[in-house]
Amino acid sequence: MDWYYIQGILILSGINLLAVLGLSLLTGFTGLFSFGHAGFMAVGAYTTAMMTVKLNMPFTLALLVGGLAAATVSLIIGKLTLNLKGDYFCIATLGFGEAIRLILDNVQYFGGARGWPGIPRETGLMNVVVWNVIAVIILVNLIKSRHGRNMQAIREEEMASQIIGINVFKYKMISLAISAAYAGVAGGMLAHYTGFLQPRMFQLIKSTELTIIVIFGGLGSISGSIIGAIVLTSLPEILRTFHQWRLVVYGASVIFIMITRPQGLMGGYEISITNIKKLISHISSLGREKTTVGGDNK
Amino acid sequence: MKKRVLFLLVSTLLILALLVTGCSPQQSEPADAPEEGEAAAEVINIGWIGSLTGDQAVWGNCEKNTVEMMFEEINENGGILGKQIRVIPYDTRGDAMEAVNAVRRLTSQDKVAAVIGPNASGQAIAISSVLEDMEVPGIATVATNPKVTVDDNGDVKPFNFRVCFIDPYQGAVAAGYAVDVLGFSKAAILYDVADDYSQGLTEFFEKTFVGKGGEIVAKEGFKFGDVDFRPQLSKIKEADPEVLFMPYFFKEVALSANQARELGIDAVLMGGDGWPSEVLLEMAEEAVEGSYFVNHLDFADPEVQDFKDAYTAKYNLPVELNGYLAYDAVKLLESAIIQAGSFDPVEIRDALKTANVKGITGQININPDTHNPEGKDAAIIKIIDGDYVFQQKYSAD
Amino acid sequence: MSAFLQQIINGLSIGSVYALMAVGYSLVYSIMNFSNFAHGGVIMIGAYIGFFLMTAFELPFIAAFGLAAIGAGLLAVTLERIAYRPLRKRNAPFLYFIISAMGASIFLENIVIATIGPTFRTYPRVFSTTPFQLGAISLGRLDAVMFIISGLSLLLLIYIIEKTKTGMAIKATAYSIRASTLMGVNTDRIIFIVFGLGGVLAGVAGVLFGMKYTVYPQIGFITMKSFIAAVFGGLGSLPGAVIGSILLGVIETLTAGYFSSQYRDLIAFVLLIAVLIWRPSGLMGKITEDKA
Repeated sequence: MDWYYIQGILILSGINLLAVLGLSLLTGFTGLFSFGHAGFMAVGAYTTAMMTVKLNMPFTLALLVGGLAAATVSLIIGKLTLNLKGDYFCIATLGFGEAIRLILDNVQYFGGARGWPGIPRETGLMNVVVWNVIAVIILVNLIKSRHGRNMQAIREEEMASQIIGINVFKYKMISLAISAAYAGVAGGMLAHYTGFLQPRMFQLIKSTELTIIVIFGGLGSISGSIIGAIVLTSLPEILRTFHQWRLVVYGASVIFIMITRPQGLMGGYEISITNIKKLISHISSLGREKTTVGGDNK
Repeated sequence: MKKRVLFLLVSTLLILALLVTGCSPQQSEPADAPEEGEAAAEVINIGWIGSLTGDQAVWGNCEKNTVEMMFEEINENGGILGKQIRVIPYDTRGDAMEAVNAVRRLTSQDKVAAVIGPNASGQAIAISSVLEDMEVPGIATVATNPKVTVDDNGDVKPFNFRVCFIDPYQGAVAAGYAVDVLGFSKAAILYDVADDYSQGLTEFFEKTFVGKGGEIVAKEGFKFGDVDFRPQLSKIKEADPEVLFMPYFFKEVALSANQARELGIDAVLMGGDGWPSEVLLEMAEEAVEGSYFVNHLDFADPEVQDFKDAYTAKYNLPVELNGYLAYDAVKLLESAIIQAGSFDPVEIRDALKTANVKGITGQININPDTHNPEGKDAAIIKIIDGDYVFQQKYSAD
Repeated sequence: MSAFLQQIINGLSIGSVYALMAVGYSLVYSIMNFSNFAHGGVIMIGAYIGFFLMTAFELPFIAAFGLAAIGAGLLAVTLERIAYRPLRKRNAPFLYFIISAMGASIFLENIVIATIGPTFRTYPRVFSTTPFQLGAISLGRLDAVMFIISGLSLLLLIYIIEKTKTGMAIKATAYSIRASTLMGVNTDRIIFIVFGLGGVLAGVAGVLFGMKYTVYPQIGFITMKSFIAAVFGGLGSLPGAVIGSILLGVIETLTAGYFSSQYRDLIAFVLLIAVLIWRPSGLMGKITEDKA
């Protein structure tokens, strides 16, 4: 395969990964399910583009502003909807994603549905990798901290967490804001990769894809999300020669994964040096059924 | 534990299998392709991208079929410059990001001489950076946004071309015809707020119509995917327009036309090149009777008939508008390659800049300053007795 | 005034379309506690079955209609077997069900594109296109038929649930799967029946939509609105689904008619949030307790 093409796939995987990492915190570690992350990406994308195109801001700074804007919007949405249960929250985020798109379709300042061409192309493999490394480091540290453990407690037993004094609402808000910020930065990178923005780039299917990646990689596993983002972004590329059959295969594999291995590829496990050591000792004591690492979600 | 190992094994195998098939040479060899080996060098790759899945799949499929059919024919007649052509079509799902990657693959891995498509402005604008990086020309089929071939500063993009009208032209033609020829002064617009084509036509229809002294009495929007337009139409009925402009695609046109008549709106309906289709007549024959739309060509033209018959015989499907424009894109490319006398992408690009060819949708003269086809008259079509009847050539001034 | 009445009629008729979808979806929710996003796919397949029976096999409308409903019911049951039952046996959280449903929906849409093709297909005309006129107000014949069939299907469903033994078991299972299992209810059978009923309703909706809106692979996307309507009314409640749908239909219509058609969906969304803040389980939703 040609490097130029591989580079394209890697950049796209990287952009998806950034959004997936955020969603992984929300869905995988806090147990909230969002259908509106394409909306947060859109907020980030349009804000970042506005910063670079209209205000001539440097790209890195603009991305931060984009992330911040997405986080701010998420706080407003979260304030209103985070008290809702399961599917109610889900549908509320779905409505939010569609509403954002509808607004962007109508706002002629950003080109409306006709789109916004002429955004400088700043995103390359280098800065995608750098942003992802930073994003992973922040996320790992957060999850290992007291706050991260509180989020996981909420995922496991919301009621019990409340009783032992965890401020459930606050932690849900933090989790949502951080994940929206990640999505916002990802959106900004996307805008400066294609050099063009159009509301239809942020359809519901985009949110769904992100969630599928998180689940495929395994809830509560950052390494799972990383592998998931790379595999599932490359999969449609590899299937390219199958033309219209490729989404059939994609849909079928999603069901297949869910029914054979619903905990996903990594299922709460992480790839880390200690875990690799444990795995080696596990293999040396061959054949014996025991699980020592991490923990299953359910 | 066992299950997990099995799962990992199966998925690894699956991914490996896909990698292998993905990297192997294309399956879609031309019918009489030479065997691998010494003759393989004789085959030239041409790329096509567009939607084979997603909500624009109808149009994308027709384009892909047309392009494949035409190159098969060209190959049977000895190819271009004595070489056989292989078409490599990739699906974009109508997504700009996918389009970028598909073109990256076409230009780097498949080493195509040129790219035909895509069928939407969003994707066409997004791929121009890749075309410029790799110096391969692209001919958009139905991408009507002016920004497809010209950047924000008004400079022409070196590798983007198109064979269709641009939005301002079509909107202006419709409005001009409505005021100057049909003598209307009160118009209403119903448009798709989530669609770039629809917004583009609406903007320029409104501008021209008002500029010519007409009045827009109602302007209502719907969102792609909507199937019921009665709330908007009831409001339009109150405004009592003489003409109702419907700049969107035939399925929605059929639904909204039926609903408009049900509600008792008797205004003349008018639209753009998203209209012509057999489905429109099947679904709304009575409702669209007496309506006008702007088109690229006259359907009764014998050349058009030949193509239509050949296509329908081969695929057992009706030809959509995109088919005609894909036909012209292939014709344009063929003539540019012959003129360049080479399959070098940059030389093809140079030839494209001044290419002129008689297409199925009219004479196509590429303007080197805009990369748009110049002086293509629009055809005004009226629907009479369930048939598309050519009225006159009309160009906006 | 007549314009306002016309808009109300429009709203009621749009609402009845949403209701037909929302009920099938809410029915499954009441038992399984998850949003079956594959419902739109089943509707789409139902529309195609009806279309091919009427065109390729030239069956009369009523026969095609019935067979399409049965076909969609079978499909829904099969989907439950393949995509949900393994998860249910494992007590997987609702997230997994939703993802599986999404996978099924992607699969169904694209298998149709790949095999039958993405072309729009028009049903043969069954009802005349001249509308009923009441003064200045008009209602399409097909709309009237849809209104009546929606109403009849809903009444039949309510009869099954309220008056039959199976219905009793469905209600019990909806209240608590575990308790009803202990009381000797065969929950697998109940879930089978619920998916079957939901599928039949989807088939009915599919044929009606196909006649009204043509058949194409994305026709199931209309269900998005009915999900929102079901949440409006309260997930898992059948009367809630109907009331939510009618309300959403009327609100949307009035917004488009008197405020802004461009921002219609935005206003619907703001209202949705407002209702949920006021009543977090929708207008008539059952209170979902935390599940461990």
